[in-house]
Amino acid sequence: MNPAGRAWSAADLAAVHRTIESYYSTRFRQFGATPLGVDWSCVATQEMRFVQLLKLCEIGADCSLNDLGCGYGALLALLARRHPASAIDYLGIELSAAMVRSARRRWRGQPGCRFVQGEACPRQADYSLASGIFNVQLDQPCDLWEAFIRTTLDGLAASSRRGFSVNFIAAPAGRAIEAGLYATTPGPWLGYCASRFDAAVELVTGYGLREFTLLVRLPRVA
Amino acid sequence: MGELINPHEIYLGTFFERFNMRFGPADPNAVSHWLSGGITEIAALQKEFEIFKTGRRFLESVALLGLGGDAVGPAKDRWIAYLEKLPKMKSDDAEQTGDARIVNALVANFLKGEPLPCFMQALDGRTVDPGHVIVSEGEPLFYLEPTKFLVISLPMRPKSAPGRG
Repeated sequence: MNPAGRAWSAADLAAVHRTIESYYSTRFRQFGATPLGVDWSCVATQEMRFVQLLKLCEIGADCSLNDLGCGYGALLALLARRHPASAIDYLGIELSAAMVRSARRRWRGQPGCRFVQGEACPRQADYSLASGIFNVQLDQPCDLWEAFIRTTLDGLAASSRRGFSVNFIAAPAGRAIEAGLYATTPGPWLGYCASRFDAAVELVTGYGLREFTLLVRLPRVA
Repeated sequence: MGELINPHEIYLGTFFERFNMRFGPADPNAVSHWLSGGITEIAALQKEFEIFKTGRRFLESVALLGLGGDAVGPAKDRWIAYLEKLPKMKSDDAEQTGDARIVNALVANFLKGEPLPCFMQALDGRTVDPGHVIVSEGEPLFYLEPTKFLVISLPMRPKSAPGRG
């Protein structure tokens, strides 16, 4: 609920998206198409998150993939190394227009690879992934941020045939995390995905980062 | 021996600091989410990606970890230039270059069940084992005793030092 006691509106969520877009565009102007430009410490930690998210996917010849919050398309580098024989139908979705332009330049000529600007996946794919998009809350009220997360998860479920995966910062026990970041425990979001989407949700932890990943396998549609 | 360091290169210490934060003991109560994983995080990254590998240069590996420095500028350029020279430098093991000594020690450290945190520091290249990269196990920070580290000491000497080396 917002301070006026009503549910957060589409306009409220649109304002959240604008704030996120502004934040990441600023990072991108400062650091360019690098992990720091999308607020990760380095290539290795950025790719470690991708490795966990990709545990959801059975990547085959005709696999399609949405990458929500794709930044400059860093996931494609890992896919090229680990799945060189797969022709993945990849769509990167990103709020920041500057990052979308950069991604298009970077991956120009890459078969089966497209980027669009937006806040939600505009198509249904086999799988959707989103890395780190729930971490940087900035000064948004917590319940608005959680409304944003729920809306985003709903969108990921709607745009995925087989499933989607997301990650969160794990809340440190008994203490707050640094200002501007959103940290949580797995339970609430695992429960949300399991009940709302009738999904089998797998929790992934223990990969060296103070985070966790949810692999959300959606029920097969007959 | 040892790299010549210009008087204005005071910022070299920031590169050591970044390495030492990323490779330090994991901090369960860290304020910063990004630095809390320490050696536990690096060990997990090593296991997944084999970042440090015999035959791969130390510079290539630390670049994957973002330890080449954030900013573009002379200090970063100087740090990169230093790391590029490690394969031509000697070490405390006559069989290994400075670069290979560091990489192989890190690889061996990560093969342990519980790898030691690592600590990088400058070594006075004029006096102690001149010009040699030294890798050892020890307690370089008295205020953290008895925490043992894998200590990487990089030889440096002031550019103004006359007749040395």
